Amino acid sequence: MTFDQFLQYVFSGVTTGSIYALTALGFTLIYNATNVINFAQGEFVMLGGLTAVSLHEAGAPLALAFVGAVAIVATVGVVFQLLAIRPLHSAGILAQIIVTVGASLALRTGAMLIWGREALPLPPFTGDEPIKVSEATILPQTLWVLGLTLVIVVTLQLFYRRTLTGKAVRACSVNQGAARLMGISYSKVVLLSFGMSAAISAAGGVMITPVSFMVYSSGALIGLKGFAAAIFGGLGNPAGAVFGGLALGILETLAIGALPMSGASGYKDAVAFLILLIVLFVKPQGLFGGRSVEKA
Amino acid sequence: MSELSLSQVSTGYGRIQILHDIDLRVGDGEIVTIVGANGAGKTTLLRVISGLIGIWGGTVTFKGRSLSRSSVEARAGLGLVQIPEGRQLFGSMTVEENLELGAYCRRRDGRPFLEKRDEVFTLFPRLGERRRQQAGTLSGGEQQMLAIGRALMAEPEMLLLDEPSMGLAPLLVKEIFTTLRELNSRGLGMLLVEQDARIALKLADRGMVMERGRVVLEDKASALLDNPEVQAIYFGQHGGGGGSRTENE
Ligand SMILES: Nc1ncnc2c1ncn2[C@@H]1O[C@H](COP(=O)(O)OP(=O)(O)O)[C@@H](O)[C@H]1O
Ligand SMILES: [Mg+2]
Repeated sequence: MTFDQFLQYVFSGVTTGSIYALTALGFTLIYNATNVINFAQGEFVMLGGLTAVSLHEAGAPLALAFVGAVAIVATVGVVFQLLAIRPLHSAGILAQIIVTVGASLALRTGAMLIWGREALPLPPFTGDEPIKVSEATILPQTLWVLGLTLVIVVTLQLFYRRTLTGKAVRACSVNQGAARLMGISYSKVVLLSFGMSAAISAAGGVMITPVSFMVYSSGALIGLKGFAAAIFGGLGNPAGAVFGGLALGILETLAIGALPMSGASGYKDAVAFLILLIVLFVKPQGLFGGRSVEKA
Repeated sequence: MSELSLSQVSTGYGRIQILHDIDLRVGDGEIVTIVGANGAGKTTLLRVISGLIGIWGGTVTFKGRSLSRSSVEARAGLGLVQIPEGRQLFGSMTVEENLELGAYCRRRDGRPFLEKRDEVFTLFPRLGERRRQQAGTLSGGEQQMLAIGRALMAEPEMLLLDEPSMGLAPLLVKEIFTTLRELNSRGLGMLLVEQDARIALKLADRGMVMERGRVVLEDKASALLDNPEVQAIYFGQHGGGGGSRTENE
């Protein structure tokens, strides 16, 4: 593999990696608030992409379609929590996790009925003239994906570190009982976390659709990869989730490049799970440790 | 009148009843202490008052209104603020962030944050020096100070304290109790739960002795201090009595 080829794989890897990162962040937000692993997380990504496609087809400019799709999916996340998760509060975490599996199937089926079985495209945000970097090329959409992912990650950090609401969310994840004694409504924090989680993952879905299209079933694999990325970085650790997503995206594409046989891309998906297995065997708490280090 | 009163309160965990027909009243600016051995139900009683667990029967009223429909979150805003057993600080957050969160219930109607924060730092200068330090890295005494400071940020009218002496060296316990006395002299009412009966009764106006979920004795604190029965059972070497003082939770 030449350096330019390598560069080309990295560019492509960070693009999908960013989407894994945003999906992993989505897992993290919900996990930190509730200890629930939301197996419908990938469906939020899929819904983001497909909703944006519809809004754009209906005449909305891309920017508006983006914002609209994110807002709509955030609402779906909130409603999902209210209708499916909240009633199971006393039934325990496991019951809630199982319901997310059911919800992912329901959302997938619903999406198939609405959008059909065809993979749908979205135009790139600003043209598709590749930009030359050395001998490799980078698509403008890749820059959009990277830039917007960065904006989302930084904004999220500022929210957690600088705002009282963000600190209240952190407080709930450290010590729910104590947080409630301070007057923090845990149920509102949970709702907020579901809404933010859905919004962030939906944004990933909108950004990736111009690159790889979106179909009703896309969420399954993206969800699993995002989950692998979250585990890779240490479940519950937002920075770890972002790192895990990017690393997974890059490793995946490099693996295709390194495997000699044609049709190696079929093995691409196996890479994520191979990494997941290795991490679980070697360092079950993830590269950067899970949330337990956050606890008092 | 920020008066707290419980009437015929009972509760438990699962099907096991822990509290039986508790009657209790803490007047405006008064300090009432509840002493009793480990496992007597003192923490459970405070959890009932702050709403962390529900009640099976009876009533809890504060400032003349029933709390039965008030959530945990709402009770802090009413001025009824609990300092939980074992401090329960946000260990990975800084001293200052803990204080900010303490003021959360007053984010809309409270006094300015900086003003209150500086009052806490005046009361506990050591917290001011460590304001950017993670709460989990403070010493036990400093953590208890922060737990009290955090509660004061909520502008309480009545404090519910759960074993502020737990795990602290005698000198620090003295320091903490001196601060509590000072806060009380400014009009702050307190319901103080302690295993260290002697120091609690010295501070309090009235005292109650709890055994297996029931109030078995109730009197002026000074009278309980002189009560030979109380002395025999609760003034052991470790101030614990009624069994060894094991760490709970
Ligand atoms: N979360 C809980 N679940 C079940 N039983 C509990 C729980 N918390 C306390 N208990 C039981 O309730 C009784 C009273 O406990 P507690 O209120 O903590 O007593 P104290 O604070 O006086 O030491 C004990 O027998 C204890 O084992
Ligand atoms: Mg206790």
